[in-house]
Amino acid sequence: MNQTPANRAQTVRRLLQDPTLLTSVVILWVLLGLFVLYPLAWLLLRTFTEGGTLTLANLLAILKDPNHRQSFWNSLLLAALVGLAGTALGFFFAFTAVRANLSKAWGTVLDAACLLPLISPPFTTAIAMIFSFGPRGLITYHLLGIKGFTVYGLGSTWFSETLTFFPIAYLTLKPILSGIDPNVEDMAFSLGSSRWRVFWTVTLPLTVPGLANAFLLLFAASLADFATPLILAGNQFPVLPTQAYLQITGLFDLKGGAVLSFVLLVPAMIVYLLQRYWVSRKSYVTITGKVGAQTMVKSVAPWARYPLLGVCLLMAGAILYFYLLLFYASVVMALGANHAWTLQHYRVIFTEGLKAIRDTLVIAGAGMPLGGLFGILVGYLVVKKEFPGRQTMEVVSMVNYSLPGTIVGIAYLMAFNDPPLVLTGTALVIVACYVFRYSPTGIRATVATLQQIDPSIEEASQSLGAGSGTTFRRITLPLILPAFFAGLGVVFIRSMTAISATIFLVSINWTLITVRILENITELSLGPAAAFSVLVVAIVFVVIALIGLALRRFRAAGAVEVASILGG
Amino acid sequence: MRRWILFLPLLGILALPAGMAAAADTVNAYSIWPENWARPMFQEFEKATGIKVNFVRFSSGEALARVIAEKNNPRVDVLFGGPVETHAAGIKEGIFEPYKPPAFAALPARMKHAEGQWVAIADDPLVFMSNTKFLKEHNLTAPASWDDLLNPAYKNMIQMADARTSGTAVTRIFSILEVFGRDEEKAFAYMKKLRPNVQLYTKSGGGGTLPVGLGQAGAGIFFIVDALDTKAKGYDVVVSFPKEGIGTAAEAIALLKGAKNPELGKKLIDWASSPAMQSLFATYKINFVPAHPEVKVEASLAEVLKGAKIFPIDDAYAGANRKRIVERWINEVLPAQ
Repeated sequence: MNQTPANRAQTVRRLLQDPTLLTSVVILWVLLGLFVLYPLAWLLLRTFTEGGTLTLANLLAILKDPNHRQSFWNSLLLAALVGLAGTALGFFFAFTAVRANLSKAWGTVLDAACLLPLISPPFTTAIAMIFSFGPRGLITYHLLGIKGFTVYGLGSTWFSETLTFFPIAYLTLKPILSGIDPNVEDMAFSLGSSRWRVFWTVTLPLTVPGLANAFLLLFAASLADFATPLILAGNQFPVLPTQAYLQITGLFDLKGGAVLSFVLLVPAMIVYLLQRYWVSRKSYVTITGKVGAQTMVKSVAPWARYPLLGVCLLMAGAILYFYLLLFYASVVMALGANHAWTLQHYRVIFTEGLKAIRDTLVIAGAGMPLGGLFGILVGYLVVKKEFPGRQTMEVVSMVNYSLPGTIVGIAYLMAFNDPPLVLTGTALVIVACYVFRYSPTGIRATVATLQQIDPSIEEASQSLGAGSGTTFRRITLPLILPAFFAGLGVVFIRSMTAISATIFLVSINWTLITVRILENITELSLGPAAAFSVLVVAIVFVVIALIGLALRRFRAAGAVEVASILGG
Repeated sequence: MRRWILFLPLLGILALPAGMAAAADTVNAYSIWPENWARPMFQEFEKATGIKVNFVRFSSGEALARVIAEKNNPRVDVLFGGPVETHAAGIKEGIFEPYKPPAFAALPARMKHAEGQWVAIADDPLVFMSNTKFLKEHNLTAPASWDDLLNPAYKNMIQMADARTSGTAVTRIFSILEVFGRDEEKAFAYMKKLRPNVQLYTKSGGGGTLPVGLGQAGAGIFFIVDALDTKAKGYDVVVSFPKEGIGTAAEAIALLKGAKNPELGKKLIDWASSPAMQSLFATYKINFVPAHPEVKVEASLAEVLKGAKIFPIDDAYAGANRKRIVERWINEVLPAQ
């Protein structure tokens, strides 16, 4: 934003007069500097220097290689396809859940179906896919009798990533859809619009910032995911994150991997900036201080309710099938060879795997509240407050999310392994990695929610003499609480399930369940891998349910109506 | 509710020391051996010496990358297991502290580094492994020659490891080079001819054994230890050897330079390179061939190996050419459609 010097001086003065704001801004910048900019500086140093001099040679060497160029286009194609399909699917689920007047029970079923892919490591679905769709796949061969079906490639990777990431779109879109006051739609109805027309001209346009957010998040998630393509893409469809991961882990080539990821960062940033400036030109205020009469949602015709629900349940059924297969693998001796029932795999994870379970719980437990708090603080300051460097703060807070996780992990490893800051081998470095990598979901949810809240509500509080701290606590916080819980939930879930960054940060002292799962899969111990996955799903389910319970008790009167924690 | 939230990080902090506490007699190791084989060995070591082994498992490429990244501040004392070319690459990075355990003199020349940068704890030959049902369906017998794998019946049905990450793959490529008398042109021409039959190059050496076991792939090239384990789990597979011969890699152990517990690390190396550990392979049904000449090869393993033509990979030749050969493989074999 272009500000005149006089304006700028004014914002600086206002910042200095507001100690709460000043302290928050300073603390956030110190944290962002330490855990986002500092490792990134290390990464760039590695990419653009050679023997102490600046050079573009590293970058040019990668760009000249036709295989790497092909991987680059493949990655963009995959990310765009996953973004589109995932956003569409997420919107479909969210719309059905919020606008179809379903009973609470059906809403819970949809929430649960979306939760499953979100709360297990992505590559676990990929493994179930391999069992189902190969030359001897349960579905392709044993059910349909197709011979020589090839599972590896774009199609299966797209399908698996869409299934894994669409709940992010659902999480983003549901609170926005439920935040649209049905009265707004009622106005259109009373002016004679059909339901179809109301959907296209009122409901859908109001969710545009949410759709853009969802697309961006899915695009970034796909660009950062190396595990699914590692298992499913095969050698015909190489993608950059996997290439970068292999470059680093296999060829010991930190520099080459860093350069590959730098190439990947460019499209991620372009999409982010496009979305940012496109969305920011529109206004989406639908929650005003003026209370309208409570009204029924009428946007979906009663007859259309069940087809919508039917399609959702079909998808949910597909998801459920994959996880049942996984569960089955955890309770038989060896899937495909010896189907005798056994609890042996669970015995293994609760004896030998106990350390990984404890470590993961401690790290996720510590990261969850920190990440949730960080998310709403940044989101709130960025949307509602004026201070120098505001927009830079938002961009910086998104960096670790946009960067492929492999690179965040390697950057952390390079930055925090040697003095002055030796943090590798500690739990802190893993917690920090999760917080700064996964709180952007909370930030975006907060931003999207705040963009719907009329500033007059807060202005009223301030004109009555409340400071910014009080106004935040008493007015804004209850309104953005759902976003807080979304952020908190996502950080916890990701701490339990993510692998791409932290695979480099696990150490002899602190290990993670996900790393053990991937190891178990490469060690051919499918049983323990499946048992671990089932355990992760169970733990996250319980914690999310607890948060949902807490949210219902804590929700302030008059806050945005949200069905459950997932809606936040 | 708010109090409840605040309670969580507190819980986390309280639990921190639990994870950090380490007994005085603990040696730290990165294990390249899969956990289900490393763990029983380490438990036996603790039983024998009272020293606990704290370890994490990584595949060879990852373990080496990690040790190099941590060079100035090593987190572990010992690098345990992994094909010897991994250790050969590590010598160039100056990450090891030479050490000659008591068994050093007894080991044959190819089972130790002359200056003691590493010593071998096992030997691991490559094998062909095929799915029995797949073979029957295509009227094939188990492949008995490298040329058998070129049969179009295998089109898109063979899995083997990716040379970017896997030591198994590097051993395989050097086997093929040996078969063609180190004539690189002929060896690469063969690998390119094999390429259309390859369904997938897997990240880890054993990655393809489960697909072959299930019949998702027809055949593959693996270390014997992975292949026989697949068979033992009940998958219907058959192990065979090419008549031209196939390579075997020594599995090595090494002490890291700057290790925090060098004395304990040395004790682990003493034990692992001696018959004390290697005679336990049979007890735990781990199909490694012992490196120490005094330990007998277990009978059923010896039966599988009988008559097979197996040659060692020359670690000096492999170490010197590894980077170039792997790069050539990435550029010429991997992308070929």
